Amino acid sequence: MNRIQESMKNIRASEELKRHTMEYLLREQLKRRRRMQRYALLAACFCLFLAAGGYTLYVRPVSYISIDVNPSIELGINCFGHVVTEEAYNEEGRDILRQVKLKRISYIQALERLLGDNRYLPFLKKDSKVYVTVISKNSEAIIDKIDADRNLRKYEALTYTSDMECRKEAHEHDMSFGKYRASMELTQYDETVTVEDCHGMSMREITDRIEKCKGHGERQETEEIKEKKETDETEGYQYRKHEKSPDNSRNHGSHGKHYRHGH
Amino acid sequence: MKSEEDLKRVINVYADMIRRICFLHLKNQYDTEDVFQNVYMKYLLCEKVFESREHEKAWFVRVAINACTDHLRYLSRRRWVPLEVINEETAVLDETGAELLEIVLALPEKYRNVIYLYYYEQYSAVEIAEILGRKENTVYSWLSRAKEMLRDRLGGDWA
Repeated sequence: MNRIQESMKNIRASEELKRHTMEYLLREQLKRRRRMQRYALLAACFCLFLAAGGYTLYVRPVSYISIDVNPSIELGINCFGHVVTEEAYNEEGRDILRQVKLKRISYIQALERLLGDNRYLPFLKKDSKVYVTVISKNSEAIIDKIDADRNLRKYEALTYTSDMECRKEAHEHDMSFGKYRASMELTQYDETVTVEDCHGMSMREITDRIEKCKGHGERQETEEIKEKKETDETEGYQYRKHEKSPDNSRNHGSHGKHYRHGH
Repeated sequence: MKSEEDLKRVINVYADMIRRICFLHLKNQYDTEDVFQNVYMKYLLCEKVFESREHEKAWFVRVAINACTDHLRYLSRRRWVPLEVINEETAVLDETGAELLEIVLALPEKYRNVIYLYYYEQYSAVEIAEILGRKENTVYSWLSRAKEMLRDRLGGDWA
């Protein structure tokens, strides 16, 4: 042992100093662990919040499409353009939905899959028409996309727009809003027909009767209907007339008067 | 995060060494305790994996010397020091070591470090250069000057 070592041999850390240091380190370690746990909890809450927000956003329909031939089916579309809800309003529709899966795909894919399915073919007879009714803030864009789709063009679907009030009333009558829209149109022309009467009719029957009444009504519209129209308008309802485009390539909002609430 | 067992081990193994390094630089037990805890806190947060016990020891030496230097820098910015704590550290010395250590403590800081590491911890000049992050030649010249100063004050065969 040299003199330096000899002179410093008594300089040692006291047990008290060691104990204080150990206590301090354990205290700090605990503090840091708690802080980490708090951060982890916050991060987990944030992730959960994001996931819940994302899920809510995904499953919430913002637009609706009603497809009516004889089967009446309504699809709910989320903000990403994916089908998130499907609902049938008659037995034929329920049969189809049991076998054809339409959820979690784009509405264009869903329409292609539905109309192209073998089980749907019997309803697309030679004289049948496909009625597609859209409720959306961007209904024009949706209709444009449906009209522009090469695979859907062959069905010559007639496209309409409607609104949430109409959908609510339709559901009160246990009908899709597409069929309800057509029924309301018929009741405007033929007062002897009620929405309940339309319940059992196919879309073809309803539109045939509309066409028939329209032909008759255009020749002589009775004063009585005129009066009713005026009364309804003053009560907050309005009639909107959508003319068929001359080339018939786009039937958006066609077939005469569309009965809807005005706001 | 380090385990409690590991913290106990490093406290038992390196506490005396860190205490001696603190003694060479600091003047009272409060400062010593501050630096002591600071060094172990650095170890607690250190993610480094040591290659060997020697590597770990060299890390503690370097961190302790740096912590002392930082603490002294902090104290030099402080305007006052309580009178009762000044030179409290010299009280732990016995008669035999007092004379030599008083002379060692009177050396400039850089010489104190090399004298301690060379004579007490028995590191070579190359190892000291690595620990202090200096060139080997610098450490050789510091050692030579420090020895000369001690020889002047204590006589020829002081070591």
